[in-house]
Amino acid sequence: MRKMTYGEGIREGMRSKMLEDPNVVLLGEDVGPYGGTFGVTKGLWEQFGEERVRDTPISEGIIVGASVGAAATGLRPVAELMFIDFLTFGMDGLVNQAAKMRYMFGGKISVPLVLRLPAGGGISAGAQHSGSLEAWVTHVPGLKVVYPSNAQDAWGMMLTAIEDDNPVVYIESKILYSKKYEVDDTVAAIPFGVASVKREGSDVSIITYGKQVEDALTAAKVLAEEGIEAEVIDLRSLYPLDKETIFTSVAKTHRALVVTEEVKRGGFGGELSAMISELCFDELDAPVVRIGALNTPVPYSPALEAYVLPNTEDIIQGIKSMF
Amino acid sequence: MRITKELLSGMYRKMLSIRKFEKTASTFFAEGKIPGFVHLYIGEEAIAVGACANLRDDDYITSTHRGHGHIVAKGGNLKYMMAELFGKETGYCKGKGGSMHIADAELGILGANGIVGAGHLIATGAAWSASYRGSDQVSVCFFGDASTNQSTFHEAMNLASLWKLPVIFVCENNLYGISVSQARHQTIKDIAKRGEGYCMPSLTADGNDVITVYEHVQEAVQRARNGEGPTLLEFKTYRQHGHFEGDPGAYRPKEEVEAWLQKDPIPRFEKYLMENKLMTADELKQIGTEVDGEIQEALDFAFASGYPALEASVQGIYSDIVEEARSR
Amino acid sequence: MAELIVMPKLGLTMTEGTISNWRKAEGDTVAQGEILFDVETDKISNEVEAKLSGVLRKIIVEEGTVDIFRPVAVIGDANEDISALLGGGVPAVVPAPEQAGTPAEAGAAAAAAGEAAVPADGGRIIASPYAKKTAALLSVDLRQVRGSGPQGRITAGDVRDAEGGSGAVAKVKISPAAAIEAAALGIDPSGLHKEGRIMKEDIRSFAAASSKTAVQPAVQAAVQEITRVPMNSMRRIIAKRMLESQAVSPAVTYNMRLDTTALGVLRQQLKDTLKVTYTDLLVSIAAKALLEFPLLNCSIEGTEFVMRNYANIGVAVGLEEGLIVPVVKNASHKGLAEISQEVKRLAAGARNNSLTSEELTGGTFTITNLGMYGMESFSPIINQPEVAILGVNAIVDTPVAVNGEIVIRPLMNLSLTADHRAVDGAVAAQFMQKIKAYAEKPALLLL
Repeated sequence: MRKMTYGEGIREGMRSKMLEDPNVVLLGEDVGPYGGTFGVTKGLWEQFGEERVRDTPISEGIIVGASVGAAATGLRPVAELMFIDFLTFGMDGLVNQAAKMRYMFGGKISVPLVLRLPAGGGISAGAQHSGSLEAWVTHVPGLKVVYPSNAQDAWGMMLTAIEDDNPVVYIESKILYSKKYEVDDTVAAIPFGVASVKREGSDVSIITYGKQVEDALTAAKVLAEEGIEAEVIDLRSLYPLDKETIFTSVAKTHRALVVTEEVKRGGFGGELSAMISELCFDELDAPVVRIGALNTPVPYSPALEAYVLPNTEDIIQGIKSMF
Repeated sequence: MRITKELLSGMYRKMLSIRKFEKTASTFFAEGKIPGFVHLYIGEEAIAVGACANLRDDDYITSTHRGHGHIVAKGGNLKYMMAELFGKETGYCKGKGGSMHIADAELGILGANGIVGAGHLIATGAAWSASYRGSDQVSVCFFGDASTNQSTFHEAMNLASLWKLPVIFVCENNLYGISVSQARHQTIKDIAKRGEGYCMPSLTADGNDVITVYEHVQEAVQRARNGEGPTLLEFKTYRQHGHFEGDPGAYRPKEEVEAWLQKDPIPRFEKYLMENKLMTADELKQIGTEVDGEIQEALDFAFASGYPALEASVQGIYSDIVEEARSR
Repeated sequence: MAELIVMPKLGLTMTEGTISNWRKAEGDTVAQGEILFDVETDKISNEVEAKLSGVLRKIIVEEGTVDIFRPVAVIGDANEDISALLGGGVPAVVPAPEQAGTPAEAGAAAAAAGEAAVPADGGRIIASPYAKKTAALLSVDLRQVRGSGPQGRITAGDVRDAEGGSGAVAKVKISPAAAIEAAALGIDPSGLHKEGRIMKEDIRSFAAASSKTAVQPAVQAAVQEITRVPMNSMRRIIAKRMLESQAVSPAVTYNMRLDTTALGVLRQQLKDTLKVTYTDLLVSIAAKALLEFPLLNCSIEGTEFVMRNYANIGVAVGLEEGLIVPVVKNASHKGLAEISQEVKRLAAGARNNSLTSEELTGGTFTITNLGMYGMESFSPIINQPEVAILGVNAIVDTPVAVNGEIVIRPLMNLSLTADHRAVDGAVAAQFMQKIKAYAEKPALLLL
């Protein structure tokens, strides 16, 4: 065991695949000597050189689009967009090209690219640098979407992402980058579509991912003092989705709360909630509760931002409302 | 003459194949046998053929919504193309792509594309990949005049130039972005000018003369293979049909259409071949007959093929996941 | 062919009716058109006739309040199988309050029936999907289970409690933490009466209070008594409407005194031809004045005023059970004689309960008179959807100064309540001035 930050977990995942496979290349804004805006690629340019760790112009269209072209012709690019919010400029490459190519070309072309998207708020980055936009990508057939919540998962899931023959959207929680976690000495690839039960409980299932896993665990501790035992499920991979673990848990606890950092309206949390209601209807002893951000852009001022984003107390109150 | 007779007759055959394929598509579309919409390449054959005559199978191209010509020129199989147009399971895309989404990785065809401007980025990425792998493959990006107003064009030109990538940007300036004439969509007349902004060698030339196209692309390909970076080539041309079948093209002056019909690249090439005694009328006629046979064969193949099974619709989205089918 | 008899809709605004009496018993033969049962609705009683002939096979609702169009009985042939008709849905029935016995009994009955589980809005049982599944597995009848979840929802735990206990034990709504606390302090949480969930703090304060009451002297409680009398349906409707009116209208009351000498003279002059009351006169005067001040005669729908070129004047009639307001239709275009006769007829109808719902609706303005009780001023409440109501007070002989001399004059105070959304103070004042002018100089009415 050793201590490692979330950001380092991501980096180690990339590093080990780069050592293994010369076709793995990194590109993005400031990923080179600068080491990435959040320091995630630090040291990789020095280790692997200019050709494999390429700084691009501030040009998200070409970062994603060139990754598509490169992935279709033999490379395994790992592209970083500085903030998930900048995906708007890279959206066509991801959604109309990468996601659809295999299908619409009758399987003739594979696009094994990884797109890293730092997401989430809590650092007063303002409305254009704090997005939680996973619903935009989970909505698109052809993409895989993962969202690790700790360094070990970040590492293990990066290995799987790079190995995958399909386009993978790898969402990173900015606020966790410098948080330290215990990590095994050797980390194996973590298969997609396998959730992690972070805490067992009998009374309610909290279904979440990313930064909210931590909030859910804190809430579960508080609730335990009041006699409510919450089970906390970290989905880790949003697509493919581990429905089995969700359903097993709900069948045990008969209550489900979904918490995500996204704006609640039209979010992936709504998809999870609808799915549970649809497929676990007879197991539910209370309506599924959804916790998310208010339906606003993320405000800048710290107090406003804290008010808009969901927190531990919201989870606690949401769960109490079910009893 | 540096161009061999074999190459000339090959280019003539390809141009004729495209023309006859497109005429066939036009006919069957009009009869309602081809669904959706088709954008035909009639009138622009010299560009795809002149350009692709310089390419190897392992070189890359990206195409557009008006893509049949590029695919035929790059060696695409007429039978699979025809079957795809009819939505059959034997088609290039197993009936899931259609006219605008034909690709063939083995021939380096990275796909026709329904999104105007998407190919710029993909072609650049493929060129980066070739260069990174140390291969001498090149990447040819076909696109129209109107797509040069998309951000993708500029992002691609900038990166290709910056990273000296082996990509040849081939602009087929057919003077219209759907119904909007070039004068109404950009202030420049010669798109090649945009190369200067990216320190990229560029020129404007006659796109209805297959020899001219061939020669300019040849030079650009050589530069690319030698690691000397990208080129922007603008070829002026004209589509003889509407933007898509069913578009009467009323936005174009009759005189303009007439004038361009006079410059039709195929009769022009035939005249050139015969006047220079490179090929005889009989030889040309013979090729025409053979192409007719190939088209008929492609049609027979398409008609004889079945439609894809409904389950196929949930397959092939991922390499390893089959989506849920309808439960009914 | 047997048919369901439903609670009929007896007026435009009727949503529910209370069955007060069945004229026929189960098994009786009834003929089409015969009176079947009595219904108390919007302040009047109605008789409901049988719509077909046959045998009254089943009375579904003996007494009580039923939403309109809900089945109340079945009429059919003597030996016909009517189970299909009875099986179709549980009728929405609230036990008639009059029938509920003592309050203690009523409470117990409600608890036993699971009042939360079978609400008044249509008999739907609110239970979670898992509770329903559990109930099916354990063969528990959900109608016998009291819901403890949010909004009285039956949870799976309620079902298990009901199955494990004596069948219909009301579960106490308590937070898990509070349950732990209660167990620790040896308190039975069912001893706490609380709207909503019992929390840990509730247990603690209950424990503290219990220890206090233990040392306090017992209170002499024998002589003091509280009883609860349920409202009858008319009272409930009045209560509801008055409250609604207060909620809807920003109301202002304006008082103005007028001299009734001239009206008194007028009455004397007419006495041999037609006996008119002050109310009749005021109806006539108000109707005329309303045409000149249409805003007082309007109603408000959304952001629009509904204006009229006629005035229908309601005249409040006090009955033992409550208040009822029959309407003199088109009073603005009727002569005094016609108005007077109609007011008399309507008042009599109100007292012997023979008014139709048409005679009780459609008013555009109301006059209410408390003068006979010596009242000198009050603020009447607007009869929705009208925007104004005129209160008539007692005529009091009052010394007033006329031309510098003190004389005794019969003065009356009029109290107008008007909805400020439609009627500003100045408009109300001008309207009152107009009434006063007509009352003090009735000749103006001839113009």
